Formats: sequence, structure tokens, C-alpha cells
Amino acid sequence: MALHLNLLHEEISQQRQRQRDPLKIGMMVLGALGALMLLYYLWNAYKVLEIRNRLSQAQHDWAKAEPKVTAAQKRATELNGIISTTKVLDGMIEGRFFWAPFLEKLSRCVAPNAQLTALNGIVQDDGRISVSVEGLAAGREPRAAAEELRQLLLEQLTQGYHDVKVEFKALEDLDTIVNIGGSNQNMARFGLNVVFSTNAAKASATPGPRRNR
Amino acid sequence: MKKIQVKLSKDQFQKLFLSTVGFIVLVYVYFSFFLGPLNSSRDTTLAQIDDLQGKVANSKNELTKTAKLEKQAETATTQFAALKALSPEGAPIAWFPPRMKAFFANQDIDKASARLESNSPYKEADLANWTRYAWVIELPQADFSTLGKAVAALENGEPLLSITRIDIKALTEDPQFQQVTLNASTAMVKR
Repeated sequence: MALHLNLLHEEISQQRQRQRDPLKIGMMVLGALGALMLLYYLWNAYKVLEIRNRLSQAQHDWAKAEPKVTAAQKRATELNGIISTTKVLDGMIEGRFFWAPFLEKLSRCVAPNAQLTALNGIVQDDGRISVSVEGLAAGREPRAAAEELRQLLLEQLTQGYHDVKVEFKALEDLDTIVNIGGSNQNMARFGLNVVFSTNAAKASATPGPRRNR
Repeated sequence: MKKIQVKLSKDQFQKLFLSTVGFIVLVYVYFSFFLGPLNSSRDTTLAQIDDLQGKVANSKNELTKTAKLEKQAETATTQFAALKALSPEGAPIAWFPPRMKAFFANQDIDKASARLESNSPYKEADLANWTRYAWVIELPQADFSTLGKAVAALENGEPLLSITRIDIKALTEDPQFQQVTLNASTAMVKR
């Protein structure tokens, strides 16, 4: 066996020691990790930049759409306001009491031997109509003439209105004699209270021809 | 199996310890000052994008809704404009009495006069821009038939006018004519 002498033993062991230096190895590992982390960071940064580009695109889209949306929202609010106001006004218009048809019906009830001297009508807060009518009736039986007017008025009003009440508040004979058609007739003064409501029926405001008053 | 024994000198141990500390610091700095803010920024940006995209999508719905509403409100808008047009510019007391006078004159009832009794705001929130005016319209001399026609024309022509009280008295000196007082309320736009 040949003698093998290693004259560089010390040098080689130092070199090996240098290679096994934990600090060096640690630094290498740290460097490698650092490089990996940097790469990962750069990859993430690139993705964030991409996302920011998407954000700026979205902001651009929104900037374009926003004025239209704001205007649309404003218009929608305005339209809703118009609709609800019109609805309320419509309710007011539809809920009115039309006096003309009532006057027409009243005029149809007055016979030639009767005369109305005063009429006072009020639309009450609850929607009911209260009318006070005063007049004179003439005839052999003036009270019967007044009663005839009351019944006719009740009949006429029942056709168009609801809960109709026509009642005498006063009916008194007068001493005055009136000449109608050449014959002397007695007279009576009457007062009528008329109450009715229009809740179920709405009359139209178209008066008919006057018959008499 | 060959057992490798690594004996660390004090110096090497210190270096290893320093390397470990350096590694921990590096990891901490990396996550706290680099990757953390980056991720947080990404999350915020994504949330903003979602928010904006939601808004843009909603805006399309909003525009469609408004267009539909516009179509639906066509009748109401026309009606509203017509009702609004019934209240001309200026104070109602300046134009309403002359308008009534002219109206009744056209109906063959002369000497009509109208005076303002009161005005008050409406309680309804929808009528915040409207005011209720109460008027007293006096017709000192009117024939019953003419009056009936005039009242019908008034009620048909002035949809926002409502006669709340009517008072008719026969004139003793001329029974053919009556003295009439109408209490009316009107809704008018605030100008």
C-alpha cells in the first residue's frame, strides 16, 4: 500500500470550516428567502397595480354615470311629488259638492203656487250637506202645498244623494190672501231643513232647464 | 448510518443566533411594512371597486326606473301642469276677484264682487307648495236660472274651487232676482 500523505490537510480543513460557517449559510438562506420574498412582493405589487387600474376604470365609469343618476333621482323625486300632489288634488276635486245639480233639483220641486224666499246651504266638515230653505206656499190648503214641496224635494234628492232628510222647521199660516189665477188663496210660510250626504253618489255639475221658482 | 456531529464554537453560535434574529426581523419587516400594507391597499381597492361597480349597476336600474316612472307619470304631469296653470303669477287677491267678475259678467250676472276672507296652508305634506284661499263672492242681483248655469260653469271650469256655502235671498223689491253670496275655497300654488 502506497503511503498517501496529505500535506494540505490544514488548508483543506480550514476551507471546509469556512464552507460550514453557520453565518455564511444563514446569510445565504436569508438571501434566498429575501429574494423569494421580494419576488412575491413584486408579484403582489403588480397585482395591486392591476387592481388600481380597474379601480380607476370603475371610477371613470361612475364619474360618467353619476350626473345622470343624480339627475334621474332628482327627477324621480320630483315625479313622485307630482304624482302624490296630483292624487291629493284629484281627491279634493272629486270630493267637492256640486251645488248646481242640487239647485236644479230644487227648482224642479217648486210648484207655481210656491215661492222660495231664502236658501242657505253649507258643506259641513264631515262632508254632509245642510240646507235651510224658506218660502211661501199658497192654495186652498197652503200647508198641503208646502208638504207637497217637501215630499217632492225628498223624492228628488233621494235619487241623487244619500241619507236624505227633509223636515219642516217651521210651518205657519199667514193672514195674507194672495190672488193666483184670479182666485184668492191662503198663504203659509214654511221653513225646511234639508240634510243629505254625497258619499256614495257623485253628482255631475250640469244643471237642467229651470222649471219654476 | 453515519452520524455527523456539528460542534459549534461560541463565535459560530453567536453568528447563528444573529442570523436567526436577522431572519425574524426580516420576516417582521417584510410582513408589517411591505406585504401587509400592500394587501391592505389591495383589499381597500377591491372594496372600492365592488362599491363603484354596485353603484354603476344600480345607476342603470335607477335610470330604467325613472324612465318607467316618467311614462307612468305622464298623465299626472299633464294634469299637474294644467292645475298649476290655474294659478297665474302674482298675488291671488290681484287676479282672482277680476277673474270672478269677468266670469259672472260672461254668465250675464253683473256687479259680481269677490273678496278674500282668509288664506291658510294645507296640512297635507303633499300640498306644501299650495295655499288654501277662502273667498266670498257676492252677486247682488241674479236670476235663479242664470245663477244655476253660472254655478255649474264655475264648478266645471274651476276644478280647484269648491263652494262651501251658498246663501240666496229673494229681493223684496224685485222677486225675480235674488241676492246671492257664495263662500268658496280655492287651492293655489305658492308663487
